[in-house]
Amino acid sequence: MRKLRIFTLAVVLVFCMSGSFALIQAQDDNPLVAGVSDEFAGTEVRLIFANHPWNNAIQRLLPQFEEASGIILRVESYFEDQLSQRLQIGLTSGASQADAFMFRPLQEGKLFASNGWVMDLNGFVGGEEEWNWEDFQQAARDTVTAEDFVYGVPVVTEREMLYYRSDIFEENGIEPPETLEELEQIAAQLNNPDEEFYGVVIRGRRSPAVTQFSSFLYSFGGTWLTDDGQSALDTPEALAAYDYYGNLLRNYAPPGTVNMSWPEALAIFQQGQAAMWIDADVFYANVIDSTQSVVADTVGFAPFPAGPAGANQYNITSWALGMNAGSQNQDAAWEFIKWATSQPVVTELQTLGTPGARQSVWDSPEGLSGFPADYAEVVQIQSARGVGYDRPLVIRVGEARDIVGAPIVTGIEGGDVAAALAEAHSAFNAFLESDG
Amino acid sequence: MAVVKSSSSTSAGLYTRWFFVLPAVIFVLIMIVFPVLYTLYLSLHTWSGSAIRPPDFIGLGNYQTLLTNDPRFGDALIRTLQFTLAAVIVELLLGLAIALLIHGPFLGRGFVRTMILLPMVATPVAIAMAWLLMFEPTIGLFNGILRSLNLPPQLWLGSRDQAMGSLILVDVWQWTPMMALILLAGLTSLPEEPFEAARVDGANGWQRFLYLTLPLLLPTMITAVLLRSIDALKTFDIIYTMTRGGPGFSTETINIYGYVQSFEYFRLGSASSLLVVFFAIVLGISLLFVQIRKRWGTI
Amino acid sequence: MTDITGPDRVETSSPTLRTGTTPHSRSLRATSLRVLRYIIIALVVIIFAFPIAWMLLSSFKTQIDITTNDNLFVFTPTLQNYQNVFQQQNYLQYLFNSFLVAAVSTLFSLILGLPAAYGIARFRAHWLGLVLLTARIIPGITFLVPWYIIFGQLRLLGSYWALILSHMLVGLPFIAWVMIPFFESLPQELEESARIDGASTFGAFIRIALPLAVPGIATASIMSFIFSWNNFMFSLVLAGDDTRTLPIAIFNFLSYSSVDWGGLMAAAVVITLPVLIITLFVQRYIVAGLTAGATKG
Repeated sequence: MRKLRIFTLAVVLVFCMSGSFALIQAQDDNPLVAGVSDEFAGTEVRLIFANHPWNNAIQRLLPQFEEASGIILRVESYFEDQLSQRLQIGLTSGASQADAFMFRPLQEGKLFASNGWVMDLNGFVGGEEEWNWEDFQQAARDTVTAEDFVYGVPVVTEREMLYYRSDIFEENGIEPPETLEELEQIAAQLNNPDEEFYGVVIRGRRSPAVTQFSSFLYSFGGTWLTDDGQSALDTPEALAAYDYYGNLLRNYAPPGTVNMSWPEALAIFQQGQAAMWIDADVFYANVIDSTQSVVADTVGFAPFPAGPAGANQYNITSWALGMNAGSQNQDAAWEFIKWATSQPVVTELQTLGTPGARQSVWDSPEGLSGFPADYAEVVQIQSARGVGYDRPLVIRVGEARDIVGAPIVTGIEGGDVAAALAEAHSAFNAFLESDG
Repeated sequence: MAVVKSSSSTSAGLYTRWFFVLPAVIFVLIMIVFPVLYTLYLSLHTWSGSAIRPPDFIGLGNYQTLLTNDPRFGDALIRTLQFTLAAVIVELLLGLAIALLIHGPFLGRGFVRTMILLPMVATPVAIAMAWLLMFEPTIGLFNGILRSLNLPPQLWLGSRDQAMGSLILVDVWQWTPMMALILLAGLTSLPEEPFEAARVDGANGWQRFLYLTLPLLLPTMITAVLLRSIDALKTFDIIYTMTRGGPGFSTETINIYGYVQSFEYFRLGSASSLLVVFFAIVLGISLLFVQIRKRWGTI
Repeated sequence: MTDITGPDRVETSSPTLRTGTTPHSRSLRATSLRVLRYIIIALVVIIFAFPIAWMLLSSFKTQIDITTNDNLFVFTPTLQNYQNVFQQQNYLQYLFNSFLVAAVSTLFSLILGLPAAYGIARFRAHWLGLVLLTARIIPGITFLVPWYIIFGQLRLLGSYWALILSHMLVGLPFIAWVMIPFFESLPQELEESARIDGASTFGAFIRIALPLAVPGIATASIMSFIFSWNNFMFSLVLAGDDTRTLPIAIFNFLSYSSVDWGGLMAAAVVITLPVLIITLFVQRYIVAGLTAGATKG
């Protein structure tokens, strides 16, 4: 009797704490978890996520999935470099406890697939009609597929974008740059190091800078690899791009750029110390969040400026969810992946600010409703064009990035870019020979 | 009596000897000897850790590449030696000065010792973070001080030219106290008599320091330098957390490069050959010091 | 600096100055030298303690206070950073992991290391001592690749066992380093008379040698604990998601969200504090440990 009373009390307490009774009652009608099965109730699914806006957004929805499915989710978050290393270490040894994880198809995809570390999801994605694999953009599906081996489900798409301070641009009567030439002029005009205000900030650290530099390379008409798989770094276009990037950051970016990845560059822009920031469009949520950013209300968005060869910014599937080939809970893990990439969830995540890969969401007004109008406009322009990779497409991407990133640093430091590039060119060719 | 003694150390000897050392020997075989042999084995192969493709024997190919065709290795080796040399010399000089300073009684001796212990017992990753914040070019303390003195702010870790120096500064901060404490222990154990005699002979303080303290302290100094050099050659934590070998490759030491090869590129074969060479270098330097100490260290 | 402090130190410690009656001018000079010495000592202390003090100070600052560096010392302290660290980052778990790994690896190192050091000292198994000391010289990464493969095969990667065993490689050589000379310096006669009284060699070791070696054991254990607590590289590769120790957790924190310096400093304080507290209490042992073996001839 007494036990029962305590139990009732506990139940009431739990309900009070979790918000309201009505909310839980309404669970069945919650469109976000409509198709979720409770077949795997009680199973523990372990997830390894990157420290990324997509992660921040989906964290808010996870309790609803747990509620509906009864699956217990254990999430670990790592910064991307560490995540990559963690996954490789865990997967190599077969010791990773992760069932599913975020990974970068362009970074780790080939390696994971060729080493047999990720599960082929072909069997899963094919059998889900309602979920509809075909709804994912063709380019995104291509990125995660190699000869019918589907190694992940795309969750985030990214394009390189220009963030600028609309208030400062207005004050000075300038329009956002349309060409890289204008970009440099504006950076020069607004740069005021004495006041600790800089014309532009972009990543400059060796390896992280490579992806943001790629759009510059493409827009100057260069690329990483020739058609027959050799280094394409010996072209005048590549040299011009490296030169431009180095000059831009050396002259108009804050000191210490060569140590910056996106968190550091973002922080500079958030603190109002730079007129422009160029990076992936997914970070806009961090910029317009007034708890982190003093420029939340004064940020404008513009497409990547055109270079001599046009505006060829990258347009990529940056993150996907993959499944550990050694997972003991594959069906439960799939239940999670399916939910996290379902149409309602992708719509919700997109309204929370993370651009996804589903065409139907991009086509619906709801899918765009979360974005500021000017932002959505830019993303739509850029989704329709660009290059599907932002780094060399090789197996050992990490090593390749270290090689092709070295001349970027030389450029920023004002060294001999041509010499550094020639060195990188031969190192890259040597690397390509052994990469296979 | 003598009979009992000899029997206890011979008949019981062999058996007991093993009884005492066996657990440690097993540990040593599994955790130290085997890994070293395995590293030697891997250094003759190429392998990416793949479950599908086993290691591929290539003889001395890795060593050949490393020594003839890998500029990153040579650069890293030179940087490692530069870092070690600069750090240890500065630490020796400062450490000696501090040891002399705090040798002998003064008020708050225990407190001072505790305070200078802090840098070397504090978790390296944590203090690396603190230094990272102080070095920060825009918001960091150092540039704040420079600006308030109307001096031009520096890039510190953000510049190829200053990054190594900045790391050496951290290492000096972290390990000078150890040098000082070892030398202090050495000073304390010096015999009194020669100093008394020198004073009677009218030698002044400087002469006594130069002709007595320094030579008598030499063995301790050599040992201290040996211990510090071994650790400085292997410095990993602060470099990895503060620069990860950057900007560019300007602070990539052998240890960092070995780590990158092993756990970022997963070139386990060539990483192993690098580690074998590195081990040989560290061992060589250690033996060199032991020889130096044997020859000049004892008076 | 040497030429100022060198002579100074010799004079201050010289018996004539301390005991003899000195002329007025000399005592004035001695006093000013003494004041100078205290000033320099104070400077040294400030320099070495400063980065840690700065870390502590910054951990109570808001992000805004840190990024606007106009007022370096004047700010309203906040506990928000600590709250964040413990709430968002599961630090209690990491704190527990660090304690567990450091304590157990130290314990095991003692269990293996003490008899071994005794054996080496008493029965001249110097080759083993040599191997253990070589382990101190070999770069840690040399072990990491094979361990990583072995532990992977044994399905121990990411487990506490992998961490404990690897951290023992830090502790064990150190214990040997401290304890071999310690046991060598203990007079053998006591153990021998115990054996004559019927004790086994092992009994003599447990009842006679160990109690006498307590100061050495304390030094060795404290150092082994601190080295394990501070270890970064082994844990970086071998720790799993649940077994991460504090240094790895803070390294991950470095890049969490944008750079949250206050939180980072709070996390750094959380890691360092236990070691600092230990140091305050057992300073003497740590000095003995760090300088062990260096001053012997």
